[in-house]
Amino acid sequence: MVPDHDAPVVSLYTFFQVGSRNERPGITGISHLFEHMMFNGAEKYGPKEFDEVLESNGGRSNAYTTHDVTVYYEDFASEALDTVLDLESDRMRSLTIDDRSLRSEREVVKEERRLRVDNEPAGLMDEALHALVYTSHPYRWPVIGHMGDIEAIRRQDCEAYFRTFYAPNNAILWVSGDFEPGSLLRRIRNAYGDIPRGPAAPPVVNAEPPQRGERRAELRHPSRAPSLLVAYRGPQVTDPDTLALDVLQFVLGVGEGSRLQRALVYGKRLAVNVGVDWSWRRDPGIFAFHLELQPDADVRAAEEALYAELARVAEQGVEAREVEKARNNLRAHLLREFTSNSGRAHALGTYELFLGSWGHGLALPEAYGRIDAAKVQAAARRWLDPTQRSVVTLVPEDGQR
Amino acid sequence: MTAAKQRTVRAAGATRGLRLHRFETPGGLAVTVAPRGRIPLVAVRLVLSSGAAADPQGKDGLADFTMRLLRRGTAHRDAHALDEAIEFVGASLGLFAGEDQVAVALTTPAEHLPAMLEVLAELVRVPSFPEEEVRTERERCLGQFANDVDDPSLLADRALLRTAWAGHPYGHDVSGTRGSVSRFGREDTVRFHADHFGPRPARLFVVGAVDPDEVAARVQEAFGRWADGPGQGAEVPPPGSLGRAGRVVVVDRPEQTQSQVRIAGPAYRRGAPVQFAAQVVNVTLGAGFTSRLVREVRVKRGLSYGVGSSFDTLRAGGLFSVSSFTKVETTGQLLSVMRQEVERMRDRGPTQAEVEKAQRYLAGLFPLRTETNESLAAALADMALYGLGDDWLDRYRDRVRAVTRAEARDAAARYCFPEPPLTVVVGPAERLRPQLERFGPVEVLSADDVL
Repeated sequence: MVPDHDAPVVSLYTFFQVGSRNERPGITGISHLFEHMMFNGAEKYGPKEFDEVLESNGGRSNAYTTHDVTVYYEDFASEALDTVLDLESDRMRSLTIDDRSLRSEREVVKEERRLRVDNEPAGLMDEALHALVYTSHPYRWPVIGHMGDIEAIRRQDCEAYFRTFYAPNNAILWVSGDFEPGSLLRRIRNAYGDIPRGPAAPPVVNAEPPQRGERRAELRHPSRAPSLLVAYRGPQVTDPDTLALDVLQFVLGVGEGSRLQRALVYGKRLAVNVGVDWSWRRDPGIFAFHLELQPDADVRAAEEALYAELARVAEQGVEAREVEKARNNLRAHLLREFTSNSGRAHALGTYELFLGSWGHGLALPEAYGRIDAAKVQAAARRWLDPTQRSVVTLVPEDGQR
Repeated sequence: MTAAKQRTVRAAGATRGLRLHRFETPGGLAVTVAPRGRIPLVAVRLVLSSGAAADPQGKDGLADFTMRLLRRGTAHRDAHALDEAIEFVGASLGLFAGEDQVAVALTTPAEHLPAMLEVLAELVRVPSFPEEEVRTERERCLGQFANDVDDPSLLADRALLRTAWAGHPYGHDVSGTRGSVSRFGREDTVRFHADHFGPRPARLFVVGAVDPDEVAARVQEAFGRWADGPGQGAEVPPPGSLGRAGRVVVVDRPEQTQSQVRIAGPAYRRGAPVQFAAQVVNVTLGAGFTSRLVREVRVKRGLSYGVGSSFDTLRAGGLFSVSSFTKVETTGQLLSVMRQEVERMRDRGPTQAEVEKAQRYLAGLFPLRTETNESLAAALADMALYGLGDDWLDRYRDRVRAVTRAEARDAAARYCFPEPPLTVVVGPAERLRPQLERFGPVEVLSADDVL
């Protein structure tokens, strides 16, 4: 609970410790499809009443699913707090899943997949990349699932999924905003106290074999310009190198003055946009580079230019000033998360989930202070290893079918 | 230098106890400081009252292009030195062009506010537009157009804008076209800057954990010498009738498995008194997850992942539009449902229960629109640019709650397409044509026609 009385509003987050890493082939995408089903009715509030009641009381809700976690959140006028607790606990206690809702929601999710993957080159590339990097681990399949699996998921699968992963012992609640904490705690106990514990969620096996050399995939698409997605296998979030990689991400790719922006966009003018994605994950993740290229750029030349920059970090290291700059930006980034109720509840819940405690999140600025140039170079040497690389290229081809 | 005389205004609607402190520099720059919060991050926003609508003939995209170049060199620093000055301390800078305005948005750790005000003043007062940087940025923008072809939603929005406002200064995307941008030279940016940048058409907003007197002194140091320059931007003429009304414009993308769909008609100018009743109509028809459109399109029929309506209003006019997407095979069905729902709203308006629900929704969520320092700075800038009045934040919720069902019904009758709307679809033209002909004469464009 994070009380704040600046404005008469509250944000409430519910984190369920389940995502596509808890799935199996044949029902990929069930975490995400299930997220949709959570809005389709429970014992007290029937189908579609969740949003109806919430919006009628001056609130809004949404949810998202990742490889590791499923998150539900509401922003609302503070007088609706009891109503929101009633709505959230009702669906945790007694979600009902009927065939009609599942049928309709399945079509909605298929449209979502068409939007984000099938008609979006970056989505297609990301899907191809994960299938390259992971041969065994569930990070191999897309969070939204394969089209055939979305089609195949049954009501019984959803019911089993709910019983296994949606018990209170697998959830974390964060509330930020205009309330009195003592009273809120009592109201939360009232709303959720009778919901029984569930069984412990089955562990996820990481049987990923070692990678023995670069892997490549090519996608042909009727685009005007090529693009490039390059990823290296990284550690899991709790690895000591995670924070050094956070700093490295900023040095390489965050801001107009970052190394890759200067070298590839302004220097060699090969890329239109450069992005570096290093996301914390519970199991070993990926450190990825996405380059949208100039239409006439040679993809191989762009690759080589990127690798030259990465080798320069591994061989010559980074400057102390660059590390200090990254730390200043990481601190500003952390502060920015704390400028809204939604940001506070989301950030603290995420820290608790990934770092084991929200306190570790608040201590991040000091922890980044202990990352020096030598640690950044060591992390680059260890993780940006060309033999551990996976490369997806998007090659424009004629659009006529 | 001592701070100029300040006056204060109450604006509690955003944050309990919020007060605005106002003053003007000797050169005529209007400054607003809104102290609030405890987090040591400050949002600074400088806006000028000319945007893409002021792009000269044949130079579509010049306002946006000029803004991109501001950070690529000044009389005192090159691009790298500017990036370092801003990014080293953890500040971030955004440069934007809209139809009616250009804006520089800066967020900085509070202890670096004085230095960042100096940088901001340098960017807007003495940008140098180096030849080499103009060339690089031009190439980058042209490369971006090639990448934009892969974004069907963006193609739909651009086609809608170009078609609906055809022949009017609002009738082009702020980023221009490949044709116009390929002809930009240094002298164009120098001219745009000279014609539109100066203290009198500019306004500065500082929001965050600051002392207003201290900020006033620092602003005087940074901007005190900014003088002369142009007066207020030219008026934008009101748009004539909607372009291609009753017609269907298809942007052909043969490989797509999903169509992007838009329908639009004319609406009101930003700030018109009808806006509160119109927002009640909009929420009922197409905002949030329980609107009529979401119920009919997503919940009942599973036709799309998202559907919504919106009023996009500017200084000289506005558009009311409905947007969605669906697999190619159900495009015609989606369009029928969308049009049917808009027509039902036009003919009967929202019910009393719907009016009350929309009022609670809009009023309850209103504080979130100014929750962060950045969003409050942007809201304050819009209040000033569009003449919404100092009591805008304070009175918004009461004004929404005062809307009657009769007023909402009138607004629905006026804006829910009393005349046939313009329809835009992005997808495979050949497969779409048979589904679309019943909605009006079909005209097929290529992606190149809208980029």
